[in-house]
Amino acid sequence: MNRINSLLAGVLSSRWMKALAVVGMAGVAEAQGGNRWAPFPPASDFGHRFSELFWLITILCSISMVIVVLLLLIPLLRDRARPGHKANYDHGSSLHDKRLTAVISLATFIVLDAWVLAIAMKDLREAYWNMPEVDQAETYPIEVLGQQWAWHFRGPGLDGEFGTPDDILEMNQLTIPKGRPVSFQMTSKDVIHSLFLPEMRTKKDVNPGSINKTWFKPIEAGEFTILCAELCGYAHYQMFGNLTVMEQEDFDEWEESASLLGIAAYDPEDEEAQWAWEWEE
Amino acid sequence: MSGQHIHAEPTNFFRKHVFSVDHKVIAKQFLWFGLIWLGIGGVMAMMIRWQLANPGEPVPVIGSMLFPRTNGVLDPATYNTLFTMHGTIMIFLGLTPLMIGAIGNWSIPLMIGARDMIFPLLNCLSFWAMFLGGAVGFISLFVPLGATEAGWTGYPTLSTTINGVGSGETLWAIAVFLIGASSIMGGINYMTTVIRLRAPGMTWQRLPLTVWGIFLTSVLNVLFVPVIGSAMLLLIMDRVFGTTFFIPASIMQGAGGGDPILYQHLFWIFGHPEVYILILPAWGIIGDLLSFFSRKPAFGYRAQVGAMVAVTLLSAVVYGHHMFTTGLSAMLGESFMLLTMIISVPAEILFFNWLHTLWKGNLRLTTPMLFSMGVIFVFGLGGLTGIYLATIGTDIFLHDTYFVVGHFHLTMAASALFATFAGIYFWFPKMFAREMNEFLGKTHFWFTVIPLVTVFCLMFVMGYAGMPRRYYDHTSAEYLRSLQHLNKYATHAAFLLGAAQLVFVYNFIRSRWWGKPASQNPWEVGTLDWTMETPVPHYNFKEIPEVFTGPHEFSNPDIPDGKDWISMTEKLKA
Ligand SMILES: [Cu+2]
Ligand SMILES: [Cu+2]
Repeated sequence: MNRINSLLAGVLSSRWMKALAVVGMAGVAEAQGGNRWAPFPPASDFGHRFSELFWLITILCSISMVIVVLLLLIPLLRDRARPGHKANYDHGSSLHDKRLTAVISLATFIVLDAWVLAIAMKDLREAYWNMPEVDQAETYPIEVLGQQWAWHFRGPGLDGEFGTPDDILEMNQLTIPKGRPVSFQMTSKDVIHSLFLPEMRTKKDVNPGSINKTWFKPIEAGEFTILCAELCGYAHYQMFGNLTVMEQEDFDEWEESASLLGIAAYDPEDEEAQWAWEWEE
Repeated sequence: MSGQHIHAEPTNFFRKHVFSVDHKVIAKQFLWFGLIWLGIGGVMAMMIRWQLANPGEPVPVIGSMLFPRTNGVLDPATYNTLFTMHGTIMIFLGLTPLMIGAIGNWSIPLMIGARDMIFPLLNCLSFWAMFLGGAVGFISLFVPLGATEAGWTGYPTLSTTINGVGSGETLWAIAVFLIGASSIMGGINYMTTVIRLRAPGMTWQRLPLTVWGIFLTSVLNVLFVPVIGSAMLLLIMDRVFGTTFFIPASIMQGAGGGDPILYQHLFWIFGHPEVYILILPAWGIIGDLLSFFSRKPAFGYRAQVGAMVAVTLLSAVVYGHHMFTTGLSAMLGESFMLLTMIISVPAEILFFNWLHTLWKGNLRLTTPMLFSMGVIFVFGLGGLTGIYLATIGTDIFLHDTYFVVGHFHLTMAASALFATFAGIYFWFPKMFAREMNEFLGKTHFWFTVIPLVTVFCLMFVMGYAGMPRRYYDHTSAEYLRSLQHLNKYATHAAFLLGAAQLVFVYNFIRSRWWGKPASQNPWEVGTLDWTMETPVPHYNFKEIPEVFTGPHEFSNPDIPDGKDWISMTEKLKA
């Protein structure tokens, strides 16, 4: 199994796959004067896994669709009813036909589904399901509270603890460091929302009544997008924010000043602001 | 079989046309009912597309009439109502009555050689339950606290909280419940009829594929519609009686302690089979029609039936693929991904056999044939794009984007719609004793398939580019503004698609009353539904026919008289 996996990984990381992904994303995006036909380039490790899988499925599906269209077009052009022309009397129930049906279906399953499945499983085990341990030096934790219609983010601040006066509170704006896993714990005040970070190629529902977890590793610094992907009422379409990914040095500086600002603005009377929970391991 | 009663034909207008128990009348009731709702749902789609391409501009022509308060502009609440009701209407009040109610009612007794459904009164009740459901759904649009705005999926806690939606949501849930009751009644009736009332010689191996498809759909209806019925009941309790099945303690000031995710499980346990509830009859219909119009036997009949049975079984165990982003555990996520992928094996068997049925046939490219081939094309596009959504790694990005919208419109909406059109064009001459115009039919097909594929393929691009669904306005967020041009293209194509349906309406109405009188068997096919005179007499068969050959014996060299078809009631030479 491992050998197959490494073989697959080899094919996928080959130069033509990469070239294709570049043409598919960046090339088309720049055309048409700001009008794009593709997402902005991926800015997280998930993003690259997504692109590889997406283009593999696209190639396989395109080939399948071309075959289906050909098999529709050929009879359409060749076998139209006309005087003197007869249909082939064939129930397709011979042993040969049955074998052919089985072989073609299974072959398609293996090429189309099993291949994709194998890579998807590998990605899931290595990345999506593989939640990082939270230790302050490496993983940066964030608590998210969704509400109609705003995103609240809480960083632990300098003491590394949630629910303390030095927490960093942001609204519709999230600031995180580059190159480190960022771990999210999320819940909602009212209805279901879904934290959608298109450039990070990730998304997770934010449910009331329970804490949902996700993580990713940003590998590009810059300004990115936060959207809500689950219908949450009247202003669902306006529930967006900004994601800032900073280089580690810039982030350290920012974290310190934001944490100090947090302490200055801390008001124990303000119940609305006390929504933190104990970080769940 | 001998136990089929014969009552005198009712002469009273109400017994004959309104509360009729005759499956043929009920089929026509479902047909008109479904077409009207399809029209309403279609107009809603046009308004949605208008808003997306021209956010905040008044809807032309009908806008100021429908929304006088805003001078024809859709506000976000109205927009949410529109896409919620568009989905609910198209699925429950458009495709379900057309495909299962109309085509099911028409074809089952006629194709299996029965005088009527086994429970005629239940049949009548099934239509009127759906009618009532439709009426409640319609009223829900006008209640004081506002119509439903929670999406056709109606997820709590948006559908339960007071700042979510108005009392229209309760009526919406009641409507879905009533329509569900109708589907269960229909399902029990269809299943029992197929099991008990097949004519002598109509073995399971000779059953037309249409009947197989509707039979399997009935099984799914009876098994899974009760699940959404229970979800709707619990939702109504939460909304009206203050229970908290779906409302967590955290938003009830500590009281209660339900779980909104529970609703999603209930919804999708039904919701995924619902896709197959709509698609199995479509597969059955085109399995027959491709054979009829290729003048060739249905290739691999047994394999097709086996594949449909396999999909029926599998459809029960894959629903979790709708919930990959809700926080399903790794084990559940991977299991649902694998099980979903396995569905592509029976799907592949069906494609293989459909395409093989066409191969070296003698293709009569009539309107029903074009629509049947259209199903292969749109279902191919829809089915293949399902792989992106079954794969967790790609679904996490694509979930709740326009990619999903494109996918399910091609798979369940367009495929079911095309098969419905194929069925209507095919059975119209028997139903109304008049022929539909073929030129207009073909025009309808080409002006439907091209814009339709354009709209939904553009949606794949939008979704891939990161455009979330159910957004009132895509120009407010910077990230989405650069995708607005795609919305414009899609809207142009959608309007063309909408306009093409007027050709169908014109053709249908004109043919219904002024069309050329139809002969007994205009398509020259052998199934029992074409063996009686046109129009079909009261109780269909004076004598219950006896079946000697299969439904697809086209171009058999043993057919007497040099024809290329033989009726199921005739015997082949020696
Ligand atoms: Cu939202
Ligand atoms: Cu599904």
